[in-house]
Amino acid sequence: MKLMDYMDEALIELDLAATSREEAFEILTKKLDDAGYLNDRAAFVTALEAREALSSTGIGFEVAIPHGKTDAVNRPVIAFAKAPKGIEWDSLDGEPAKLIFMIGVPEAAEGDEHLRILALLSRRLIDDEFRNRLKEATTVEQVVMQLETVYA
Amino acid sequence: MKIVAITACPVGIAHTYMAAEKLSKTGIELGHDVKVETHGSIGIENGLTEQEIKEADGVIIAADKTVDLERFAGKRVVVVPVADAIKQPAELIERVKTAPIQKATTRTQDAKKGKDGNIVYRALMNGVSHMIPFVVVGGLLIALALAIGGEPTANGLAIPEGSIWQKVLDVGAASFMFMVPILAGYIAYAIADRPALAPGIVGGYIAANGSFYGSEAGAGFLGGILAGFAAGYLVRWIKTWKVPQMIQPIMPILVIPIVSMTAIAALFIFVVGAPIAGLMEGLTTMLQGMEGSSKIVLGLLLGAMIAFDMGGPVNKVAFLFGASMIAEGQTGIMGAIAVAICIPPLGMGIATFIRKKLFVKEEQEAGKAAFMMGLVGITEGAIPFAAGDPLRVIPANMIGAMVGAAIAITVGVTNNVPHGGPVVAVLGAVDNVIMFFISVIIGSLITAFMTIFLKERAQNKVKQSESLKQVG
Repeated sequence: MKLMDYMDEALIELDLAATSREEAFEILTKKLDDAGYLNDRAAFVTALEAREALSSTGIGFEVAIPHGKTDAVNRPVIAFAKAPKGIEWDSLDGEPAKLIFMIGVPEAAEGDEHLRILALLSRRLIDDEFRNRLKEATTVEQVVMQLETVYA
Repeated sequence: MKIVAITACPVGIAHTYMAAEKLSKTGIELGHDVKVETHGSIGIENGLTEQEIKEADGVIIAADKTVDLERFAGKRVVVVPVADAIKQPAELIERVKTAPIQKATTRTQDAKKGKDGNIVYRALMNGVSHMIPFVVVGGLLIALALAIGGEPTANGLAIPEGSIWQKVLDVGAASFMFMVPILAGYIAYAIADRPALAPGIVGGYIAANGSFYGSEAGAGFLGGILAGFAAGYLVRWIKTWKVPQMIQPIMPILVIPIVSMTAIAALFIFVVGAPIAGLMEGLTTMLQGMEGSSKIVLGLLLGAMIAFDMGGPVNKVAFLFGASMIAEGQTGIMGAIAVAICIPPLGMGIATFIRKKLFVKEEQEAGKAAFMMGLVGITEGAIPFAAGDPLRVIPANMIGAMVGAAIAITVGVTNNVPHGGPVVAVLGAVDNVIMFFISVIIGSLITAFMTIFLKERAQNKVKQSESLKQVG
């Protein structure tokens, strides 16, 4: 199993044109909606915001992982965006987010494989080298090459 | 320092694992031994053992949800939000040294299930839930074919060659053939992920096919469970091998499956196979030696054997014994067996009808199918229940079948066709039809109520210990 099973190239954004968390949600959920992963975009945004309200998903080191577990999502999916200028995310270390993984999981997805892969991604994001390589990637191919290394 | 930690977050898909990773990394950097148990939506992973907790100098709980602290009585415990473990892991490790000591609660630890207890249950349920469609579809097709197209003959219920019902039966049999391999495969999968799937499936297939190890019957679903756990733990162990970077990519698709499949096959062919063949021989001799002894004892024994492994070697010995006795004119033995055969699936069906809440949704559906299968004498309908909760369901099945078979043999129910279930009575192979049905009903109700009783008792135990936990 691997991370790329839950992503596709259309869901990778190299230069996210957003200046706030809300705008980032707007752009990325539209991508997910256009690709057919959502059945209720508004409900998914609500789930994302509810999670942020608990505590920010800006985990520091310029990474944010907004996520929502709701049946507004058709199947487990991850969108990835780079925001070279940084987006204010109210993160743990105060730094703006430059690497954003938006994760959508239905309430009752079959099996737990997608959860394992997300766990693995979370662990990998703690790795400085992995983050740096993602930050250095300038093409979708280079991003995909890095994300291909997240597998079990 | 030795430190144990737990991380947990509300949604349980990201922070839990980041915090875990951060804590162990920081631990390594600072020269501490940190082990982290994660409470994510996958469940509890990397569980702390009692030994590890005992040896730990301190405990870090980085969680945004409630974590039971009882295990850590007498230890220095730091409790913080999960974010703190990501933000300032080094400070947390420092704080452990001076943290307050967790007060002991009065309850002892013995009710606590170890981590492997959870894995065993999860693995069994994973195997069962994937197996259920195969059992249900196969069972219902076979049931349909037998009920509509079947005719009683000396060789059992036969379906005329070339009829459409023959095809239906074949498709059902094909689905049934996957039952044990799928059970074993997904047990293995739950333990060691995808690399264990193929070894588990093939191991289950070998377990279910006695021809691999010179036995007349395969090892049945119990053999499948064994194959599944063997494959799972073997693969999990192989995954810990340190291999050169170059070999790593081919580990999951080539090395692990080949090594583990070969090992599981060898296990069944050289280790498990001979004892099964020997067991069958021994049981056959025993049954033959019992001719002339008390009918009740024989009935109890046959009932127990039929219900024990449902299609496995023990069941097979009893069934073949009954079939061979028909030829000698002793149709009473097959009469008792015909009753025993349908009691486990009927009992499970009844149990799911009257106590829905004790069963998960899939099991409720499987219960309806089991009932249908029971009517046409397909004991296998009860296998999903037995495989998911063997320690409670198998005894309930056995006792119901024992009582049913003992009543039938005592009052002289006979059956001149080697097949079981109400279908043989309807088709006219049974003498003393009324007592046949009475035996079936009594046995099935005993199985159903005993299953309910045992499952409810188990649930109450869990509830009790949970409420105690909250008080503590």
